Amino acid sequence: MTRLFTTAAALVGLAFAAGQAFAAGELHIYNWGNYTSPELIEKFEKAHDVKVTIDGYDSNETMLAKIKAGAAGYDIVVPGDYMVQIMVSEGLLAETNPSAMANYKNVEARWKDVYWDPGRKYSVPWQWGTTSFGVNTAVYDGDIDTLAILFDPPEVLKGRINMLNDINDVINAGLRYLGHPRCNKDKAQLKELSQLLLSAKQHWRTMDYSTIEKLTSGDVDVSQNWNGASMRARKQIPTLKYAYPREGFTGWMDNVAVLKNAPNTENAKLFQDFIMDPENAALISNFARYANGVAGSDKFMDPEMTAAPEIIMPANAPAPEFVPPCDKEVVDLYNKVWTNLKK
Amino acid sequence: MANALDLKRQPGFASVAMICCFVLYAPIAVLVLFSFNANRSVTRWTEFSLDWYVRALANEGIQHAALISIEVALAATVFGTAIATAGALATTRIRRSRGTNIAYTVINMPLMVPEIVTAIATLSFFALLRTGLGISFGLGNLMIAHTVFCIPFAYLPIRARLENMDLTLEQAAADLYATPWRTFRRVTLPLMLPGIIAGAMLAFIVSLDDVIITLLVAGPGETTLPLYILGQIRRGVTPEVNAVSTILLAVSILFVTLFFFLGRRQRS
Repeated sequence: MTRLFTTAAALVGLAFAAGQAFAAGELHIYNWGNYTSPELIEKFEKAHDVKVTIDGYDSNETMLAKIKAGAAGYDIVVPGDYMVQIMVSEGLLAETNPSAMANYKNVEARWKDVYWDPGRKYSVPWQWGTTSFGVNTAVYDGDIDTLAILFDPPEVLKGRINMLNDINDVINAGLRYLGHPRCNKDKAQLKELSQLLLSAKQHWRTMDYSTIEKLTSGDVDVSQNWNGASMRARKQIPTLKYAYPREGFTGWMDNVAVLKNAPNTENAKLFQDFIMDPENAALISNFARYANGVAGSDKFMDPEMTAAPEIIMPANAPAPEFVPPCDKEVVDLYNKVWTNLKK
Repeated sequence: MANALDLKRQPGFASVAMICCFVLYAPIAVLVLFSFNANRSVTRWTEFSLDWYVRALANEGIQHAALISIEVALAATVFGTAIATAGALATTRIRRSRGTNIAYTVINMPLMVPEIVTAIATLSFFALLRTGLGISFGLGNLMIAHTVFCIPFAYLPIRARLENMDLTLEQAAADLYATPWRTFRRVTLPLMLPGIIAGAMLAFIVSLDDVIITLLVAGPGETTLPLYILGQIRRGVTPEVNAVSTILLAVSILFVTLFFFLGRRQRS
């Protein structure tokens, strides 16, 4: 028994030693799962002699819960737009001042003064995209640039729709269809919204995040979706078309921010600067298939991406709307509408 | 009369049992099936291929996650089983009193408390250790957390084994002037070994499968296999994940089968 213990302890110790880093510095990235280009990381490790670790999360909320509860050791997180604002207000992010960094000049002007980080004091762009929906045009070849596809669908699409299982994405789409403002606390308008969602629900087959699987399996012909996911689904269903509804659609951006208690702040800052270089930003996009917000990066991107209709918006499409976090009263009202919808 | 009350003879027993087995295992069968799919879809079958296994095994993220999972599971198994063995001996080899019941409840507490509560409590505990005393054990944190929730899983089979063991054998050894340690080495331990092995295997598999506690406690560079799979979901699942899940499943089945046979030997 004693021998068994010593052997096991030695094994564990050995495995520990093998896992140790020998580079000069370290950087610990906490990003969405399967979202970080390995090529980008390799290049960064070589350029700065830094050993990088990557861990993945599945939602902004998981990441926030973990960081707030006191998880330590991470240097970099990649929160979505509204989550940057929340994390700044909770004092979780370090003010690294990316606007003073060498590569900041490459950031497209429209991403410099954003609501979640005016003047870019905390975060730099990682990737951005839109949340709308895709339709299999082999099944329905009419006009798809309207939210009526989701809320008052044509006969052939009834019961063939997947919605995202996301309170904000569903409610904001509904509010746009009705022409009501976002972050809405008008009881009458919310009642109207609730009725709309309940009547549309009978046409929805599922509410699920696994949009690519839903579409490619033929389980549904329409899915509320992110543009990059829709592009990847199109590789398997060539007739899939991403819609730009005239009532409007959501835009989002994930941003690289440094945590206040980061053990390797200097390396984290180097990383922020590193990804604002167009060549490096292109590596991010080529891997995860979303636009990056850095000017000149398209030269280094896969040609099939720079021509994709999911990435290049038509001239007549409305501008994507970035929706800030709503206040507590609105969140409570939305939760009621959502609970009512889901029961 | 006894026959009339026998569950197996109730009308519809076979069909209900079959439906239950189907509901439980059909999704797993589909998962395994699609790990052999040539196409990158996890829902549309094209043709048989082992490509996803090759890719999964060559994937550095998966390799690293697997290594972490195994390190943590080994540590949790060794320490958890050792503590559980000591606990089982203590609760079965002393005179029963009210304290025994309390000890029993405390040991099994992690089984009753919802996992998320244990997870948040563990995370707060380690955060407090770090901020208050400046102590952090790195991957050791995860190993400690896993050891703790593995203890009751290892404890139950060991205790069951000890309770079924004949006390007279130990008394006979003592009568023949064996020291307590010698009695333990030559009589008690060999007899309780099947229970210890079964407990260890159960602990190993519980540690390998854990998501919630690991999700909250894991630090940088400590992604385990289940966490790796969870992180993939938003960006689209490829059959690579099916392949890894199938390997995990195979390991689980292997252990559960061994556990079953050891349990049978123990009873006979």
